Amino acid sequence: MTKLFNRWLPCATLSAWGAILLAFYFSGKIAHFLHPTFRPGVLIAGCAMLVLAASFAFLPGVAGCCDDENCGHPLGRMTFGRVLTFLILLIPIATAAMFSPKNFGATTIANRGVITDAQGLTARAPQATQSTSIEPPLPTKDGSQPAPEQAAAADQLLPKSAEGNVKVAVIDLLYAAQDPSLRADFENKKVELIGQLMPDNVSNASGNRFKLVRMFMVCCAADARPVAALIESDKKTDAAEMSWIKVVGTATFPIESGRPIAVVKADSVAVVDPPEETMLY
Amino acid sequence: MSWFTFRFPDFAFSFLSILFEGIPFLLLGSVISGVIDAFVPARVLTKFLPKNPNAAIVLSGLLGVIFPMCECGSVVVIRRFIRKGLPLSCAVTYMLGAPIVSPVVALSTAAAFRGQSPAVMTSLRLFLGFCIAVLVGFVVRFIPHEKLLQRKVIDTLPGQKRAGLRIAAGSAGDEPLNLDLDSFSQKIFRAIQAASSDFLDVAFFFVIGACIAATFNTAINQQIILPLATSPFLSILAMMLLAFILALCSSTDAFIAASFVTFPFAAKLAFLVFGPVFDVKLFFLYGVIFRRWFVISLLVGLFILIAVICLRIAVLNL
Repeated sequence: MTKLFNRWLPCATLSAWGAILLAFYFSGKIAHFLHPTFRPGVLIAGCAMLVLAASFAFLPGVAGCCDDENCGHPLGRMTFGRVLTFLILLIPIATAAMFSPKNFGATTIANRGVITDAQGLTARAPQATQSTSIEPPLPTKDGSQPAPEQAAAADQLLPKSAEGNVKVAVIDLLYAAQDPSLRADFENKKVELIGQLMPDNVSNASGNRFKLVRMFMVCCAADARPVAALIESDKKTDAAEMSWIKVVGTATFPIESGRPIAVVKADSVAVVDPPEETMLY
Repeated sequence: MSWFTFRFPDFAFSFLSILFEGIPFLLLGSVISGVIDAFVPARVLTKFLPKNPNAAIVLSGLLGVIFPMCECGSVVVIRRFIRKGLPLSCAVTYMLGAPIVSPVVALSTAAAFRGQSPAVMTSLRLFLGFCIAVLVGFVVRFIPHEKLLQRKVIDTLPGQKRAGLRIAAGSAGDEPLNLDLDSFSQKIFRAIQAASSDFLDVAFFFVIGACIAATFNTAINQQIILPLATSPFLSILAMMLLAFILALCSSTDAFIAASFVTFPFAAKLAFLVFGPVFDVKLFFLYGVIFRRWFVISLLVGLFILIAVICLRIAVLNL
């Protein structure tokens, strides 16, 4: 029994953790959970855990730490503690790995509070998103709107679809609403963007608005914040709540409650497959 | 809308993301701790310290930069170091400082707070951790070690004075592990053993912490807790209490703290400074070495001190 606790339980735990980490990394699922910066750490940790597990399996001397009177592992010294450690370490991660989806549901997004104003992200540094990397127009001497030739140059930098629509992410429109020079890049232009459909219960007096939501991640999914652009559509969409949709329409920035907000007047709304990376960075 | 709506898939998604982000740092800390445990004899640590007692205490607060150690490991290590002759005040300073003033903690804090003033948070965390450890070290210097240490610890240590400091020096022979006599392969085995055991022991608390953080992040309506998060006083107290209960490892706690997006900077700082120096797990670990009155005094003193400092920092609105 002692041999089981000392040697094989840690070996099994480390093997399981290493296998889960490597499975998520090599299957590409890790992209839904972590910012690219942190993903190599999962690969390294997974490999290291398998090495440690192998050391427990093949080096019997490794297992004896918690029999030493100097051992500082309070749980490791008791049989009950060892079993409890094993259960806590294995069951939650194994269960979560089996049942975890690739993104959050509507309840969690609602609990976190959907951000439709980039000021709600002030703790985060504005960064170019994964889908667009837009160079802002060159500044003018008096800080006013850029000259037409500058705007045309900036327009050429914007990524476009085959139909000529400017491809944007939700977060681009939110930052554009706060920044006049960025706004000029998008205002009254045909844009296309994807996200998840959520009803708008806040600023929807005429009943033709809904939210297009994306999660904006800085480190991992746990810190991701839901950001949304408002979509106005005269045609009722039959897409289900939280389904992935592509919206093509005209970007506008009307002033509401004293501040400009991003509203896309939709020409078409179509249900699409989720993108390869569901989060924005 | 209800204040609490638990949905398992969302919980699992958040829980796994916290684990995936924190595990590499936890493993890195455990490996460094294991290597130090196996390859660094206690006398190497004492060699670094100057003869001047005050300077020795100050330097002990920085030893974590060279000998990084998580809070669980540092309690074990100082017991060994005290036997080897490290002055008690220096040992306590190292015990409190090493879990915060360390390159692993600096790295993980900067990474976790990416986009949330990482440089300011990391610098303040390390600076406050160092100052608090040194302050406690100076206080301990003026308390006889017979009043601080458990009787069973004192029994193994014939007390004596050196360089004006009360120390507890034992012969090298009572060390259960003689690092000088171990072969290289034995040291490797011991390093793997210590790293694995440290990792599994601390991962236990990290999993529990990640469960609580994931529940908080997904199930609780953030609008409900907004009043708590917007009050500097309440948010700091709440986060310190949370740090005490969660008992996270200092190499990964920043990932949990950073995920409490509604809480202000000062409250997260309080979490990150208080957690590594005192939590529910350390309450029991400290009790292995120190007398109960000292452990409770340490808890109360550190709680008040860190809360007051962070309240002052909250005024700066960082």
